[in-house]
Amino acid sequence: MGVVHGEEMVLNIGPQHPATHGVLRLQVRTDGEVVSEVTPYLGYLHRCFEKHCENVTYEQVIPFTDRCDYLASMTNNFGYVVAMEGLMDIKVNERVEHIRVIMAELQRIASHLLGLGAFGLDIGAFTPFLHMLRDRERILDLFEMTCGARLLYNYMWVGGLSHDLPVGFVESTYRFLDYFEPKIDEFVKLLVHNKIFVERTADVGRLPQDIAISYGVSGPNLRASGQKWDLRKDDPYSIYDRFEFDIPVGEGGKGSVGDCWDRFYVRVLEMKESIKILRQALSSLPKEGDVYQSLPKKIRPPIGSIYKRTESPRGDLGYYIESDGTNIPYRLKMRSPAFTALSVIDEIAAGWLLSDVLAILGSLDIVLGEIDR
Amino acid sequence: MGLLENRFNDNVIVEKLDKLLSWGRSTSPWFFQFGTACCAIEMMAAAASRHDLMRIGMIPRSSPRQADVMIVAGTVTMKMALRVKKLYEQMADPKYVVAMGSCATSGGPYWQHGYHVLKGVDIVIPVDVYVPGCPPRPEALIEGLLKLQEQILDERPLTRKMA
Amino acid sequence: MSTDQDKLITELVEKGLTGDMEPINSIEDRVLRSKAKAALAKAKRAAKSQETAEPKKKKSEEKSSDDLPSSVNLNEKIVYMINEKFPGSLANENTETHIQLKSDQWFEIATWLKSEPSLSFDSLQCQTGIDVGDNTLEARYNFHSMKHNHYTEIRIAVPRKEATIPSVEQIWRIADWFERETYDMLGIEFSGHRDLRRILLPDDWEGWPLRKDYLVQETYHGIVVPKMKEGWE
Repeated sequence: MGVVHGEEMVLNIGPQHPATHGVLRLQVRTDGEVVSEVTPYLGYLHRCFEKHCENVTYEQVIPFTDRCDYLASMTNNFGYVVAMEGLMDIKVNERVEHIRVIMAELQRIASHLLGLGAFGLDIGAFTPFLHMLRDRERILDLFEMTCGARLLYNYMWVGGLSHDLPVGFVESTYRFLDYFEPKIDEFVKLLVHNKIFVERTADVGRLPQDIAISYGVSGPNLRASGQKWDLRKDDPYSIYDRFEFDIPVGEGGKGSVGDCWDRFYVRVLEMKESIKILRQALSSLPKEGDVYQSLPKKIRPPIGSIYKRTESPRGDLGYYIESDGTNIPYRLKMRSPAFTALSVIDEIAAGWLLSDVLAILGSLDIVLGEIDR
Repeated sequence: MGLLENRFNDNVIVEKLDKLLSWGRSTSPWFFQFGTACCAIEMMAAAASRHDLMRIGMIPRSSPRQADVMIVAGTVTMKMALRVKKLYEQMADPKYVVAMGSCATSGGPYWQHGYHVLKGVDIVIPVDVYVPGCPPRPEALIEGLLKLQEQILDERPLTRKMA
Repeated sequence: MSTDQDKLITELVEKGLTGDMEPINSIEDRVLRSKAKAALAKAKRAAKSQETAEPKKKKSEEKSSDDLPSSVNLNEKIVYMINEKFPGSLANENTETHIQLKSDQWFEIATWLKSEPSLSFDSLQCQTGIDVGDNTLEARYNFHSMKHNHYTEIRIAVPRKEATIPSVEQIWRIADWFERETYDMLGIEFSGHRDLRRILLPDDWEGWPLRKDYLVQETYHGIVVPKMKEGWE
């Protein structure tokens, strides 16, 4: 009795597939079940974002940055605005800073809800997806109350915001936080400790720490591999250094450190930390302050360049802006965290079964709009 | 249906059969979730619990062979345009297309300097209903789909059409 | 020498350093007196060399803390070390915001940047390609060190016609995709890259889009590519 070797075939997953988060093509070399090589092919959503930025003014870039990572547009705007204010040396007042942090943390919760729900959907669990979307709709209600849009906001402007908080926003947010906190525990009971989910995700797709750093992985993916790195604490921007919160790190709760279950659980714990930050920010929000106070009349930054990173729900979002003194950027490059997260898939997915490849892809939580720009 | 389409002369029996067929087709079109970009998230939100798409008879199907309506949600790029055409040809007759969002209608915010963006998906496939918005609200998508259902209801598949 | 004598000598040396020579001169034993004087002379010499060392330290500290921020200090240190180890690879000595290098020894410098313990740049954060006009293209690298939490920027300029830079994808694995993207958008070739091909645009696309003189092609597989509309505002 010997080992039966099948023939190897090349299989295409995507570009249209319900489980690839967007239009991504994975070329998989497999013998039917065990995968030996995974090659991602990108570019199916390349919308020429960087070319557009070289032809429109600095204010007009903000809606374009929204559409890159469409699940977390507040944090995209935040990163761009922080970089521009660093380049032009503008200081905004306290109320604007607090509102920005509140919006960014609400967006982080909303993005993690969708990411975790979609991951459950890939594994085959349909109910948590509906629960997550139901709770996410409440956050989108809060955003719609403020700026009128559900998904792509164009909210944070260079030097301020586009709208002030409406009457009743703070009370509604407190009500949402009181409603949502027990829901996380419900979710943990439903999916996180579920035996089938644990069997499918524990020990699958281990990402070692040094490979993660070499591949530039950041955010929850890096924290799940054991490295305690969060830009809100290690390279603080805005007023994050005033708030007290922990950085959850993967510890191999159900398997080894850095597997899919860790990446999933770190995101659940991060939602709890975001709730802590939100409560602190809401209680210290100043009642007085004009959000249009520091808006510059014309945005003409001095000649120079800046590279600034902020923490988006997917990792380190970086903007490299080069200005030549006019009101149109000379070069704007967006360093997206999902790009680096996807590049590591060949290392960690080789050797697993075909359905594990999709579990690994879901656990990385990528958004194609950000990868292809 | 290819054998019986456009076969019969117009009379009472054919008219009543036509109405029955159109009613059957229009009240449960299953949609092919072809989401590329941001509009795909609104399509998923429309299919979720708050704005329920299943109450108007639409279930998401992932394979083009099992679907009636293709909702093109999001920007279509040049690289993707060839695949869109292939997917449209894989769908079985009768098939309909809804272009959701500004990008699928006419290129969206990328109309001016997008060298890789297809300015409207109707360059490669025929479209029945356009839903504008960036992204359109789930309620707007539902209105577009109801309009599509009205369009299907008005069809007369069995009657021979005048040349 | 017995411990009593040691203690006595240290006491005498201390007193002598303050200028009090009386206790030493009043020792009757000639051997002990000479030992005490030798120890005093040694102590005085040691104190003198410390004094001369301190003003030097003070000068460099003043320069570094008053005028320059810490990242510029780091850039200066890196430039100094590069000049020692890889002479001739600096394009200019300007270190305010970035370090400008020539492209010939870039692979060796990059290996050294990662392995040198005081720098230990183990993470390539961002690689940008940019068309600076004047027939020059530039590749800009932003590095970060997880261990020391410091960062720096390195720029390499190449001529437009023969844009070739050694590839660093063996050192930082993310450079694989970053360099493919720079090649795709700007046409800079990275020598030594194992698989340099387009990543975002289709393989049969013509032209390098982010160059300032890019002209869109007419059709792509039969679909007309519309020209970019100017002057809409």
